[in-house]
Amino acid sequence: MLKTYQNGRSALPFILPALLLILMFVFLPMILNIYYSLFRWSAFSVEKVFVGWEYYARLFQDPVFYTALKNNSLYALISILFQVGGGLVIAAILEDRLFRKWQPLFRTIFFIPSVISIAVVGLLWQLLYNPDIGLVNGVIKAIGQTEWAHAWLGDSKTAIYAVIAVSQWQFTGYMTMLFLIAMHKIPSELYEASMIDGANRIQTFFAITIPQIKDMILVGTIITVIGAFKVFDEVYVMTFGGPGRSTEVLGTMVYRAAFRNDEMGYATTIATVIFVITFTLSVLQMKLSKSGREV
Amino acid sequence: MFGKSKSKNMTMIILILFSLVFSGCAGSTSTSQDSAGDGQIVLKFLHKWPQPEYSPYFEEVVKEFEKQHPNIKISMEAVADEPMKDKLRVIMGGGSVPDIMFSWSGEFARKFVRSGAALDLTPYLREDAAWNDSFIPASLQPFSAEGKQYGIPLRFNGKFFVYNKQIFEKHQLEEPQTWNEFLDLLDKLKQAGETPIMLGNGSPWAAIHYLAGLNQKMVGTDVRIKDYDPRTGEFTDPGYIKALEYLKELQDKQYFNDNVNSNSHDMATQLFYAEKGAMIYVELEEFPTVEKNIQVEWDFFPMPEITEGKGNQHYITGAPDGFIVSSQTKHPQEAIMFLKFLTSKENAEKMVKQLGWPSPIVGATNDQTALKQVAEGVEVMKQAEGMAQWLDTDVHAKIADVYLSNIQLLLDGTKSPEEIMREVQAVAQEVKQEVN
Repeated sequence: MLKTYQNGRSALPFILPALLLILMFVFLPMILNIYYSLFRWSAFSVEKVFVGWEYYARLFQDPVFYTALKNNSLYALISILFQVGGGLVIAAILEDRLFRKWQPLFRTIFFIPSVISIAVVGLLWQLLYNPDIGLVNGVIKAIGQTEWAHAWLGDSKTAIYAVIAVSQWQFTGYMTMLFLIAMHKIPSELYEASMIDGANRIQTFFAITIPQIKDMILVGTIITVIGAFKVFDEVYVMTFGGPGRSTEVLGTMVYRAAFRNDEMGYATTIATVIFVITFTLSVLQMKLSKSGREV
Repeated sequence: MFGKSKSKNMTMIILILFSLVFSGCAGSTSTSQDSAGDGQIVLKFLHKWPQPEYSPYFEEVVKEFEKQHPNIKISMEAVADEPMKDKLRVIMGGGSVPDIMFSWSGEFARKFVRSGAALDLTPYLREDAAWNDSFIPASLQPFSAEGKQYGIPLRFNGKFFVYNKQIFEKHQLEEPQTWNEFLDLLDKLKQAGETPIMLGNGSPWAAIHYLAGLNQKMVGTDVRIKDYDPRTGEFTDPGYIKALEYLKELQDKQYFNDNVNSNSHDMATQLFYAEKGAMIYVELEEFPTVEKNIQVEWDFFPMPEITEGKGNQHYITGAPDGFIVSSQTKHPQEAIMFLKFLTSKENAEKMVKQLGWPSPIVGATNDQTALKQVAEGVEVMKQAEGMAQWLDTDVHAKIADVYLSNIQLLLDGTKSPEEIMREVQAVAQEVKQEVN
């Protein structure tokens, strides 16, 4: 039996279906995407006109591209800070002896937002942010900071932060859950030993908890960063890239190019760039953390 | 034991895999078949009114048509206004094009014409003069290109300032005839502590509709038509900047409610119904909703004339919505039969009565079928010398996109009219190169 498993050829029938599916639905579209980005075409056009790398040149001169890139990077940075950093802290607090009794309750409360559909969340927050009837300004006024009240989504300077904040509200709980699961796997002997050695809570957090769940932190960071570069729905529902182009992200840029401006070629160009960015980031993260080769 | 049956296993797996893949594909092809098993003709019909208050009308009309033509089956699909813009692009790209589909008039329809996707309906209209003459001429024109007719209008829409009569009477105000009178009126309302106009520009088409009228009134008709054509557009006439300035003036003098960019059009209309504002700029099709929701008397007036404007001052902002027939349809005769049925006087009257929409069919919108104000609105539109169509569907999509994304910035003061027009001009050049 063992020998059969070591025989490479007999593994083929098992791998082949998955391989074919991946080729067909992942790699082929990827290659086609790059191919299509060399043509000028729209859903309405009769033929594709070859333009070579013209769209790539145009993309790098497009100011909206840089706005989008900046917004995506902001998304990634803030998300790492709040979702990974914040999630970690919340998880550690919930794991603490003092809070463990209440953990299931808080776990549920924090997790609920992440299971609500983004369209619903977007509409909900649109209402909460409304400067005239929304709860956000209501609370601000109620605590006496009237001058802070603001048209959060309607002002091109604050709109992107307002959108990013919604993501943090929605997904920090999800990260907390992931970290809690990882923390549950840490052997309690480690904590007991550290207590005997006289370490305080902060010290155990850095010396035991973090190294023990390093892989989960890495996975969390990758999910967050890639998610930040793929973000689309929140922006689409809440601002659709506006006011002006101030909340444009790469995702909405693709959508706008393809489905509003009838430039499928330009859209595939942006999509290719998104692919390159996310791919590079994941490779980089894997390399830096020397992870992914766990025994 | 694996070794022996290895090749068998592999064949099995490949077979299963392919059957999976192809059963998926088969599913989609069978739906696009154009004739059902019993020799019936199936026409695919796509419209944009899935809302529960509108869709029963279409279901009833389709049922009646199928009853009268037992050999034809209508397979109907509906998606809402915003998704329709995407849906049409996806189906055009995907190849499974409905026989009859919704389209806005103007440039939006011309796009189908340019790519050869729309059937030329001119011969059918010429053949049946009675059908041709049943339309108010101004409603057919926006669906024509180069002397050919590509679309059939279903409803007719104009944009008007609806006002709260009670507020007007309280401050002894009258409907303005000119833009200066309009500004004067707004000023008086403002001084009296009222919010003169409610505007919800969260989706920027709301303010673009103002600009559709202002551009038309400020820029000479020939110049404007040349500029709106993607092949010759330049947008260098100073009237375009003036038009933006007129709109900006309304915002700068605080004639609109606060936070226009944070509120939706729905929110603005709700506030108007709640009598928080004196006026709102709405379409004729919204009149029945106004009537249903507002407690006080109301009336309407079109965008006032601008005396120094170079455009024709007797135009109305508005456009018909309608249908085009796919050039790939296998059953053009039947598709036309259905469109004729849909636009018959009987069904048009039914539409006006049931949905409150103004009809492009002569005489269908009258005192008996429609709300008083809707019938009056149609009269105003009949007397108009032409229509300024919605700017966002009347110019090339890329130019519309520049206008749409910048209009919010104009209103929040981030961009000046000159800056916006420079961008429009640059994109117009780009479009010109691509189209020619």
